[in-house]
Amino acid sequence: MKVAISYPPIVNARGQKAMVSQNRNVQFFKTPTYLLPVVHAQAATWLKQLRFEVIWDDGNAQLKSYEQWFNDLVKAKPDVIIFESTTPVMKFYWRTTDALKKILPNTIFIMTGYHSMRRPEETLELSQTDIVLRSNHVDFVLAKLIPFIANNPDWRITCNLEGLAIREGASKIRSTGHFRQVEPLERSPMVDRDLVQWKNYAFENGNYLQTPGTYATSVIRDCMFGKCTFCRYNGPDLTFSVLPVEKSLDEYERLINEHGVKEIFDDSGVWYRGKEAREFAQGIIKRGLHKKGCYFGFNTRFEYLDKETIELLAKANFRFVLIGLEAADEETLTRLNKGYQLQHVERSLKWMSDAGLHPHLTIMVGYYWQTSEQLKKTVDLVKSLMFRGLARTLQVTLCTPLDYTPYHQECIQNKVLQTDNYDDFDMSKLIVKTPIPHAEYYQAVREMYGIAFHPRFLLRQLRFLLTFKRRDWQFLFTYGIRAIRRVRNHMFNLTRGEGLAIPDPEAPTPL
Amino acid sequence: MRRGLHKVIGIDLLTDHTFSLRLERKDVTFLAGQCFNIGLPDTAVNREYSSYSSVFDDELQFLVREIEGGQVSPKLKLLKPGDSVEVDGAYGLFTIDPALVPGHSFYFIGTGTGIAPFHCFVKSFRGLDYKIIHGTRYANEAYNRLDYSKGRYINCATRDKTADFNGRVTEYLLANPPPQSAIYYLCGNRNMINDVYDILRELDISSSQIITEVFF
Repeated sequence: MKVAISYPPIVNARGQKAMVSQNRNVQFFKTPTYLLPVVHAQAATWLKQLRFEVIWDDGNAQLKSYEQWFNDLVKAKPDVIIFESTTPVMKFYWRTTDALKKILPNTIFIMTGYHSMRRPEETLELSQTDIVLRSNHVDFVLAKLIPFIANNPDWRITCNLEGLAIREGASKIRSTGHFRQVEPLERSPMVDRDLVQWKNYAFENGNYLQTPGTYATSVIRDCMFGKCTFCRYNGPDLTFSVLPVEKSLDEYERLINEHGVKEIFDDSGVWYRGKEAREFAQGIIKRGLHKKGCYFGFNTRFEYLDKETIELLAKANFRFVLIGLEAADEETLTRLNKGYQLQHVERSLKWMSDAGLHPHLTIMVGYYWQTSEQLKKTVDLVKSLMFRGLARTLQVTLCTPLDYTPYHQECIQNKVLQTDNYDDFDMSKLIVKTPIPHAEYYQAVREMYGIAFHPRFLLRQLRFLLTFKRRDWQFLFTYGIRAIRRVRNHMFNLTRGEGLAIPDPEAPTPL
Repeated sequence: MRRGLHKVIGIDLLTDHTFSLRLERKDVTFLAGQCFNIGLPDTAVNREYSSYSSVFDDELQFLVREIEGGQVSPKLKLLKPGDSVEVDGAYGLFTIDPALVPGHSFYFIGTGTGIAPFHCFVKSFRGLDYKIIHGTRYANEAYNRLDYSKGRYINCATRDKTADFNGRVTEYLLANPPPQSAIYYLCGNRNMINDVYDILRELDISSSQIITEVFF
């Protein structure tokens, strides 16, 4: 049986490509960012180990045009095609599924992703998709589902694996119940780097200070906190699963020694903390991996890592730490369930920057309650942290309700959504009613990204670079240039929506 | 959801490494089963703990296991009445829909301090039809077992023959298959959750009747 795990290139009317961005949200960018979809890569690896013929079909990372991707897939005639989608590209995936189904009527189409898992009926009703996975454990489910389909021609009626919505007949949809929330991650294989052509993802990724970089097999799925209302890793159906420290260390060792990787980023919603974080850092040092010129990075939360652990991580050659600030007023943090106190932000960042880590802040603007005063507080704090060298880089996004997260549902309930066209949910413009004009949020975005060009910040960066070893000057030329390009890209994307009415007349029309 | 400083009312040592932290409640509201972030003032580090006390109690109570080398729990253990801790919360969706309480029986299966949300459930929902299966190493870790009605709490201790059952919760479940109709809440160690889940599914219990929450 031939199975394709497919990511079509999605290009909008402006010629921008849909790229997976923060939190695996989709944003349209001109300059590329290729993020390895780790769980799907594990699924591909597992299916290959089960002796299925697997096509790793990432049209984006493989630099294909849509037509080329489509024609290649049709030519390959897979028995099963697996897609991963999210709110802003749902309609695209439905159209693509239907177009492919016309040509490949016997192929089974499986939809995965956090939008369809929360609204499985919608995808089955609005497209010719055959199965929707309601589970975030795509690898575990596919490792059972594909062999079942291969061995049971009547699978539509007989398959009872938990967490599926199956099209039984023309108008009959069957649910197999709740999915399994916790899985033993150590049973899922580490990503087969050759199968997924890892080098396609090794260079164009803003999270890498050095290249070639790669994503580690995530140690936490999805997030051990899992309470932030805007995040897709939050819901009554989700908890978290953990990969043992030693197994992850083994992978790091292989990536460095066998693939020559210079940067490893773990994109778990939140990486290890406490005892596991220290064990991991000690393991890196014990294996001598901190002396191989490879940097390590991860996502974390404020108030998760203490000074001692941070210093140990720095010693183990950790550098890039992505941390969600989101906003700088108590009301917003409370409404978002962020679970940290503003008074501790500076201290946490100081521990990191003093130890030589590279804190990267993520910030959002445009919450449906956000006032001018709250917005100003965020801009002022961000400026202060950046100018004082407590954070090195930042990323600002427009808070966009997605994937039926608690924030999304809150927006629907409070009737603040200005559109229900999923194409408009691409984070390029605000789509919620706000107490102040949208232009003020776009201006705030410009102001925060503008920090990157401020002489005071540039001087601070230069001083920071002077503390580096000689080889780290490559950072100035590679990461620095990439960073400026990305800042320009982000500024263009996030502020071009200014003044646009909803619905956007230039909404993506990829097919 | 709120955040702020709460005074310590007391620390009750339950075993050498587990204690109950009692805090003033102030105006905190929460749903049974939810958790809070707790940290010492000005340390900039916090950890999540599920409420052990009920939604009706005047105090907030948390069941804490002291982690060797941990950054929060050993310091919490040293607190004295009148000291303060930072509390954020409540959060989480490991809760019971009150509409399901009449007419359903609930099985609460947990290990160690993973029993905390179950204690909160039992104390918060009057008339709850429940059974707790609690895995520990020793029988003295059957914290506050007298808080549960007679016959509703089973302590499964792996290293103690004086417990209700000498063995793992999984062994207890295999020897005493639970009913298909109950709603199952699993909380605690991830290995236990995985093993119990497999047993329940083998018994043809629907996955929709199994709700889980992992504790580190």
